[in-house]
Amino acid sequence: MLKNNGFTTKLIHSPFAKEDPNRALHQPIYSNSAFDFESAEQMELAFQGRLPVHSYSRISNPTVENFELRVKQITGSLNVTALSSGMAAISNVIFVLASAGSNIIASKHLFGNTYVFFESTIKDFGIEIRFCDLTNTDEIRENIDEKTVAVFVETITNPQLEVVDLKTLARTAHENNVPLIADSTLTPPNVFNAKEFGVDIEVISSTKCISGGATSVGGLIVDYGTFEWNKSEKLASLAKRFGPFAFNYKLRREIFRNLGACMSPFAAYLQSLGLETLQLRFEKAARNCRELAGFLETVTQIKTVNYPGTISSPFYEISKRQFGEFPGAMLTFDFATRDDCFAFLNKLELIKRATNVYDNKTLIIHPASTIYCDFDRETRENLGVSDLTLRLSVGIEDVEDLKADIIQALI
Amino acid sequence: MAKIQVNGNEQEVEAPISLIDLIKKNDVAQPEMVSVQINGEFLPRENFSSILVNDGDEVDFLYFMGGGSVC
Repeated sequence: MLKNNGFTTKLIHSPFAKEDPNRALHQPIYSNSAFDFESAEQMELAFQGRLPVHSYSRISNPTVENFELRVKQITGSLNVTALSSGMAAISNVIFVLASAGSNIIASKHLFGNTYVFFESTIKDFGIEIRFCDLTNTDEIRENIDEKTVAVFVETITNPQLEVVDLKTLARTAHENNVPLIADSTLTPPNVFNAKEFGVDIEVISSTKCISGGATSVGGLIVDYGTFEWNKSEKLASLAKRFGPFAFNYKLRREIFRNLGACMSPFAAYLQSLGLETLQLRFEKAARNCRELAGFLETVTQIKTVNYPGTISSPFYEISKRQFGEFPGAMLTFDFATRDDCFAFLNKLELIKRATNVYDNKTLIIHPASTIYCDFDRETRENLGVSDLTLRLSVGIEDVEDLKADIIQALI
Repeated sequence: MAKIQVNGNEQEVEAPISLIDLIKKNDVAQPEMVSVQINGEFLPRENFSSILVNDGDEVDFLYFMGGGSVC
């Protein structure tokens, strides 16, 4: 029998959980809420988790399950849960792990909503965030204590585009009996093997590259089953019963179903289709991005260009080790003034002024005045978000057309 | 013969019986998706054929619906 170990082959040919009665080649959309049972006994077994059937779509659904199983197939993980957004994935993970009095170690360099979730939302529930430089092992060690429940990192920070040595970070976390949680949205599974770098739980905004180029909003929690949950004060009793499934049990049997942030079947269908072309689209967009980074470095009006895939980046070597030659399709560049940024934005014709990343279309944004508009200048600078920076998420268009749009907008 | 509990119900089986044979005997649905506990302990999937079920054992076949459950 053929092994079919290639990323896309494995993905496209991953089997359905159950054979489709019509032998459909794509998992159909089950848009219903509830499922019928043959008998009360069957219903009881299903609710006890002793029958592999669905009962209610907030808890599980065949179309969503198919998407989850495909992600499981390509990540080699133990459990995958699809949710309504990337932020839902992050918040569900934190609510599984943390209680009042817990603390989490994270870098300040985070996606804006994640930063606010940490800095404000969960603070109100008595969970403390200890912001550290995640490249500084001593600083992390000084901040970890017996109440630390997670080290949280973005594989490439957004929009600072910094890259941490993940193996070192994982070692530091694990030496202190703490799991490593990584948001790998900018480095999807075709370029980043999270398990190999010591990540225990991966969160992904599947809205981005996985969805097929921003077709729908979604999030993923990928549990590698690598952390010994008996080391977690909150999950230790579940670990006695469920071993490596303790995290997933707490998530699927409690937090996920009670917070209700499930992925819709229609989104799962779109994202499952998107997954099939992930590698193709990503490669095209990342090649475009690297070429544009080189091109922008030659433009005199542009002061600096930041992309971890160019040799001039301080993160080039570590990025290459972790993500290969093409670390994503997002770069930033700086003009001399904020007015120059706005003038350039307003002249663009092809590139869209929009806030998402990894759409099939190339998108641009001035992060300081948009995503970070609720922060004062000092806080923004502290977060590494400059008034002079534009963020470009590169799409799959023909790169010469993108260059032409940039050139005409510079004049 | 041995008396064991399968998903809370008493069952008589010819002992010793391997876990994989018990899964077949009980016609367990979607065996590739099932997680198995014996006496409260989850068992690695790769050991299903070598693990023997003994008299008095409590065996549970469990599913985490969604993208999980294979150990």
